[in-house]
Amino acid sequence: MKKTIACLLILTLVMTSFTACGEKGQDTNALKWHIGPEPYSLDPQLNFANDGGNIINNTFEGLMRELNGELVPAMAESYEISDDKTAYTFYLRDAFWSDGKPVTASDFEYAWKRACDPNLEPEPSRYSYQLFYIKGAQDAVEGNGSPDDIAVTAIDEKTLKVELLAPTPYFLDLTTFYTYMPVRKDVVEQDPDGWARNPEVVVSNGPFVLTGYKIGESLTLSKNEYYWQADKVSLERIDGFIIEDESTMLSAYEAGDVDVIEDVPIQEISRLKENNKDFYILPLIGTYYYIFNTQKPPLDNVLVRKALSYAIDRTAIVENITQGGEQEATGFVPVGLSDAEGNDFRETAGNYGMDTGKGNYKKARELLAEAGYPEGEGFPTLNFIYNSYGAHQAVAEAIQAMWKNNLGIDMTISNQEWGVLQDNIYNSNFDIARGGWTADYADPTTMLDIWLSYSGNNEAKWKNTEYDALIEASKTLTGQERFEHLYKAEALMMDAMIVAPILYYTDTVMVKDYVKDWQKTKLGLWFFGFARIE
Amino acid sequence: MSMTDISPDLWQPLKKEERVWEEKTQSDIVFRQNVWLRFKENRLAMTGLIVVIGIILFALLGPWLSQYSYSAQDLTNANQGPSLKHWFGTDGHGRDLFVRVAYGARISLLVGMAAALVNFFIGVLYGGISGYIGGITDHIMMRIVDIIDTIPLVLYAILFIILFEPGLTSIIIALSMVYWVRMARIVRGRILNLREQEFILAAKTLGAGFTRILLRHLMPNSIGIIIVTLTMMIPEAIFIESFLSFIGLGVSAPMASWGSLAANAIGGIRSYPYQLFFPSIAICITILAFNLFGDGLRDALDPEIRKQ
Repeated sequence: MKKTIACLLILTLVMTSFTACGEKGQDTNALKWHIGPEPYSLDPQLNFANDGGNIINNTFEGLMRELNGELVPAMAESYEISDDKTAYTFYLRDAFWSDGKPVTASDFEYAWKRACDPNLEPEPSRYSYQLFYIKGAQDAVEGNGSPDDIAVTAIDEKTLKVELLAPTPYFLDLTTFYTYMPVRKDVVEQDPDGWARNPEVVVSNGPFVLTGYKIGESLTLSKNEYYWQADKVSLERIDGFIIEDESTMLSAYEAGDVDVIEDVPIQEISRLKENNKDFYILPLIGTYYYIFNTQKPPLDNVLVRKALSYAIDRTAIVENITQGGEQEATGFVPVGLSDAEGNDFRETAGNYGMDTGKGNYKKARELLAEAGYPEGEGFPTLNFIYNSYGAHQAVAEAIQAMWKNNLGIDMTISNQEWGVLQDNIYNSNFDIARGGWTADYADPTTMLDIWLSYSGNNEAKWKNTEYDALIEASKTLTGQERFEHLYKAEALMMDAMIVAPILYYTDTVMVKDYVKDWQKTKLGLWFFGFARIE
Repeated sequence: MSMTDISPDLWQPLKKEERVWEEKTQSDIVFRQNVWLRFKENRLAMTGLIVVIGIILFALLGPWLSQYSYSAQDLTNANQGPSLKHWFGTDGHGRDLFVRVAYGARISLLVGMAAALVNFFIGVLYGGISGYIGGITDHIMMRIVDIIDTIPLVLYAILFIILFEPGLTSIIIALSMVYWVRMARIVRGRILNLREQEFILAAKTLGAGFTRILLRHLMPNSIGIIIVTLTMMIPEAIFIESFLSFIGLGVSAPMASWGSLAANAIGGIRSYPYQLFFPSIAICITILAFNLFGDGLRDALDPEIRKQ
């Protein structure tokens, strides 16, 4: 009898393992997407990172959307721009939220004013400066005015009027960005802290809506039947998996458990480049850099910061460590952005006398000696913080050795969980931290804005009134004159070396060949609205 | 001579210099020889011992055998497979893996040694005192041990390391704080058993004090079980360190332990499997060798256990 039971048990085990295998086959309606680390927030106004942005770009929709590199009207059916280019009137189409209620102009008004509310619960938006082009926005954020006075008004249910401080050539690009996406007042107020990640509460207007969320594990997006182009959405469901380790991710991809992954282990890139047709290196407008805490000695000394930056062999890093076709960075604004005359901003601004390879080593030593630490004598041990993802540790170990060998400076490197790292950087609790910024719209101000003294993303805590003045003045100017200001501003921040630029990003992604029509915006955000699985 | 003939004057404590302690009839050397004879016969245990010695030699001399330093990078020479130049190949930064594995051995053995010392000094003494005094003291001391033991060791270590900064010192301190409880339990059990036996009574009658009984009578009679437990706990400590380094809480770069070497190699497991192979095989061999050695030692020290 006992034996029979044992046999039965074994049989059941074997059978279940077979069925488990059987389930692995592809489900034509569900996309399995690896979303990377757990997003900090899925709230359009509170999010400030790409991982959250990827989700929001699929669940919400702004006035415009970038499709195939083109700007197309989305929630707005049409728009009018005044002759002086400072007033925009958007006419909304008949679009609906995922609970069937219509998307109204006041949803936009509410969302934009919400982004500029300095007393917002649970925290003010770190991206509020994205709205500073609008009259009254900056005053509201800085407490000199009320969010009610911001010049965005819902004239009627379907008409939204916006007044800008000055002509802003990329304002329509901005409206594709998540901070500008609409949210519903009645939904947010149900749970101000967690509405965006609570499937019971959340309501969105994009092609998908969040229907499941397991902390640290996965989230589920389901097709939004009320989406205005729902007939074009063929995916029924997206399963997003939170995996922080690229190796696990690549294994899952190769085993067919995941259809889409971003970032692969750097050690595998050379093999994947040769053998895999579904491995893509896409251009991405963004810079990878090391942030110096400019308030903390000895990093408050510009000579020290310059010495550190000059002692990095960037060519060795991109060729031997990251290997994903990145370019060495000698300035902060990445390649791929043009000025008013059509010249590449980076090329025009130049490299500030920096060599991409070993060429700066001698100068670095001289600068360090000038700062009072010849051969690194008496220099305290620095601490570098990063999150254990991607190439961060490998790059850090290489730079650690370069600083040790060239400058005699010791640095400890410690990894931190993504959320902890973001908090520590925000609170200036570091010496040097790894940083990265990808463009939010195709204009250099997207990069330069973050170093405004009042920007929530000014992680170097650098305050320079001349810089602020240049950037602010640029916002009221047009054409090449505006770019002259931006060139000057970048020169100013590079001269202060508040960050050490390392490389300009590329995007390494793998997508199974049976996934068609997936999109990545110029700025690197995924969009699966019209993707199909064949 | 009747009992009454003994004058009460004779019942005087001896003067200090006149005291005679118990005499040993069999010298320690015979016991040791017996143990060694029994141990030698056990081939597996001998293999374990030889491998343990080999690992210690590798840790001490390994770095000298190679011309490379564990932190010297040569980015143009990264990810080279094993060759005559680099015996274990190089890692993603072009660092020689042989030297790095040898340095990893140093770290692992250091952690093992620290764990052994803590076990020996805190665990043995704590358990011994608790067992010998008994009563309410034993009760209180053992409840403290129970409380410490309710939380898993790895959790302690992780919390401690997060509170302070990751590194070898933190790991050793975290281990030291709690790793001795199992030893304390085992020693206490043994002492509880021993203290009721006649030779302790005899020692007491001869006037031996608390410290003398504990250190000269109880401890030597528990030494077998202490050494065996010790050898068994060293590999566990090594494993915990490797595990913590693997999840990124261990030694900080450029220093590397076996755990962090393995963690760094995981990303390239498909392209450069040898980078994972060497540190993992080192962990396996070390833990196996210590376990075989400990098993053999137990059999040799306490043949009674084996017969049962």
